Amino acid sequence: MASDTILIIGGGPAGLEAARLVGDLGHKAILVEKRDHLGGTPIAENYAALTHGFRDAEEAVDELIRGVTHNPNTDVHLSSEVVAAEGSAGSFKVTIAKAGNGASQVVEAGAVIVATGFQHFDPGRETQMYGYYEYDDVITLADAEAMLKHHRFVKPSNGQPPERVCFIQCVGSRDRQIGNEYCSKVCCGIASKQAIEVRQQVPNAKVFIFYIDMRMYGYWENEIYWPAQEKYHVQYVKGIITEIIRKGDRLLVRGEDTTMGRPMEVPMDVVVLAVGMEPSRGTKDVARVFGLKQNKYKFVDVPQESLDPTATSAPGIFVAGAAAGPKDLDDTMAMAGAAAAKAVALVRTRVTA
Amino acid sequence: MTAGFIPFDAVNTKSSRKFEREAEYAPEDFHEKVFELEAEGEWIVQRVPEPYVEVMTKYGRKKKIPLELTWHHKSCGQCGHIPGYSTSIFWLNRKLNFKYIDPTDQTSCTAWNYYASATSNAPAQASVAMRNFAAAYETGYFPIIHCGTSYGHYKEVREELMHHAEIRHQTRDVMRKLGKPMVMPEEIVHYSEWVHAVRDRIAADQKRDFSKLAVTVHPACHYYKLVQEDAIYDPDIYGGQRTATVSSLIAALGAQVRDYSTWYDCCGFGFRHILVQRDFTRSFATRRKIQVMKEEADPDVVITHDTGCVTTLDKSQFVGQAHGLNVGVPVMSDAQFAALAMGAHPYRVCQLHWHSTEYRPLLEKMDIDHEKAWAEFQDDLKDLKSGKKEYLTWEDIDA
Repeated sequence: MASDTILIIGGGPAGLEAARLVGDLGHKAILVEKRDHLGGTPIAENYAALTHGFRDAEEAVDELIRGVTHNPNTDVHLSSEVVAAEGSAGSFKVTIAKAGNGASQVVEAGAVIVATGFQHFDPGRETQMYGYYEYDDVITLADAEAMLKHHRFVKPSNGQPPERVCFIQCVGSRDRQIGNEYCSKVCCGIASKQAIEVRQQVPNAKVFIFYIDMRMYGYWENEIYWPAQEKYHVQYVKGIITEIIRKGDRLLVRGEDTTMGRPMEVPMDVVVLAVGMEPSRGTKDVARVFGLKQNKYKFVDVPQESLDPTATSAPGIFVAGAAAGPKDLDDTMAMAGAAAAKAVALVRTRVTA
Repeated sequence: MTAGFIPFDAVNTKSSRKFEREAEYAPEDFHEKVFELEAEGEWIVQRVPEPYVEVMTKYGRKKKIPLELTWHHKSCGQCGHIPGYSTSIFWLNRKLNFKYIDPTDQTSCTAWNYYASATSNAPAQASVAMRNFAAAYETGYFPIIHCGTSYGHYKEVREELMHHAEIRHQTRDVMRKLGKPMVMPEEIVHYSEWVHAVRDRIAADQKRDFSKLAVTVHPACHYYKLVQEDAIYDPDIYGGQRTATVSSLIAALGAQVRDYSTWYDCCGFGFRHILVQRDFTRSFATRRKIQVMKEEADPDVVITHDTGCVTTLDKSQFVGQAHGLNVGVPVMSDAQFAALAMGAHPYRVCQLHWHSTEYRPLLEKMDIDHEKAWAEFQDDLKDLKSGKKEYLTWEDIDA
């Protein structure tokens, strides 16, 4: 029997926004989240400020969460996973299992929105050149966010403020050697945003960004890139980093300055790896449960991405946010709105048909 | 001497983070394709003979390492420049009572010139590899490769043969003309993987105390940077972030592994530099490797596991000495180091007189009377000069 309920999988920004909208449009939204709290990666990984806009991440995401938890039409299942599904557009039967006690229940839904997001590339998986698992002072963007959030950006190995900090771009992105040829879209902006925050919090630190190309979409150019250089004196160096090694108490970053066409060796106190996006475990699991086609990188495939960015290979199942590939927050929120509207339109057609 | 694992700092990661390997990110498993091609009649897969040891490779897969019934694919550079290297591998096999063959119909792999763009084409390269594999198969013994260059190249050849039917069929035509079968071994095994697999047996038979020795390790690029998913890793060695071969042996023998910052760098040999830019090689080996080790770790010896690495690291140091650089670290292979631990003669077996950097202080630290050993070796030479003996035998070596 046709159902007018919409199932949303994933409680990050995309899932929250989709659930809120479904509720606001007068339909019941069931939101399933694997973690024991809502907010997705921005909360789980302690994001400091949003890219772009610099708004406090926790405050912004709290607002999204309240939009769901204060909505009478939404039903939130925390610590829960979708483990089985049957049916088709208009009438899905989905099994939700609760972590810990093994309890499960079957819910009916007319449409499904997959908002299971991404995870950061593991910088120790393919190559040892970054030394992430060898030196505590090599950190990732996510590690840096957590320190910036608490206004305590230090050398992790000794707790002291760093004098020299650098960012290394395209770690796990645009890398044919490891099979991730795609650009993760947000890392240039986030690194530049963090570079500004480091300069604000540790004014004596010199900050460098080593990049292949800086990809600053739309207004990020003026909002982030030029202020980073002109106001905060972040130094951008076009170059390929080949390895990070320990030299005394510091790290030595080695690579090639491609503008000058010569090798470089630069001592650093903290090295931040701008790790790219990969599909999360949840994205891969949910794609399997629903039999969704995945692209070669295991993100949910979107066959008509240009004109229909939320439609998956399966009718009645929509996707929003980074489950469908690298996305910034702007695109994520826009997709969530579109997916909610399309899902509601679909169930209204089926229920009234 | 008790065998076992002596705790030491260097091979433990300095980070508080722990790397967790995820098998799903592993590249395709060549085993499946190799057996699929056998099922299609494209070639015969030579199985790893029992008994074998299963070790873990980079993405958590298992690799079978044969203990015995091995067909030893020797290395041109070892036999020509540092013969104690291959002799030590054979000596270890004999001491551990493993059956092996030292074949006389093996050819060079020709890979070194291939890397210098000086030889050949893909089917010809593949035919050289497959002829050697067929020669091993015909004896019933399993190939084990002494040379890192051959090992890395053969794995690349396997990739080509698996994925390109045209190369496979051209190679098959060559093999037909030679009257040889098309054979792909189930695993392509480097001798240092065998050393890794038998390290506890070596340690159990250890005759000399190495606990006073500080050792740096140079992992060979040809070993772990080519078809890297097939190299051995172990969570207990550098948190699974560096290949475990060699370091695991040093640990098992109770010596101290010391880290240095340029461990990831090439020895200087390059894939082609020693041929086409030898000055660069000498500078790199001394300034980027030996000098850095000396300053940061002050080792008694550097242990590595490839022909090119031993020769380059060892035989470049005279240049640094001439320029007054802080060099002077003896270099040898894991096989020679293991053999010395088990009591091998430094000249009759390990033939350290072929090595150019001063190694005698190291022997003294191993409590080896090198003057006595040298006198014994001189006596051997007298027998050869006088015609009393044509060559030394294993019996002479163990005398």
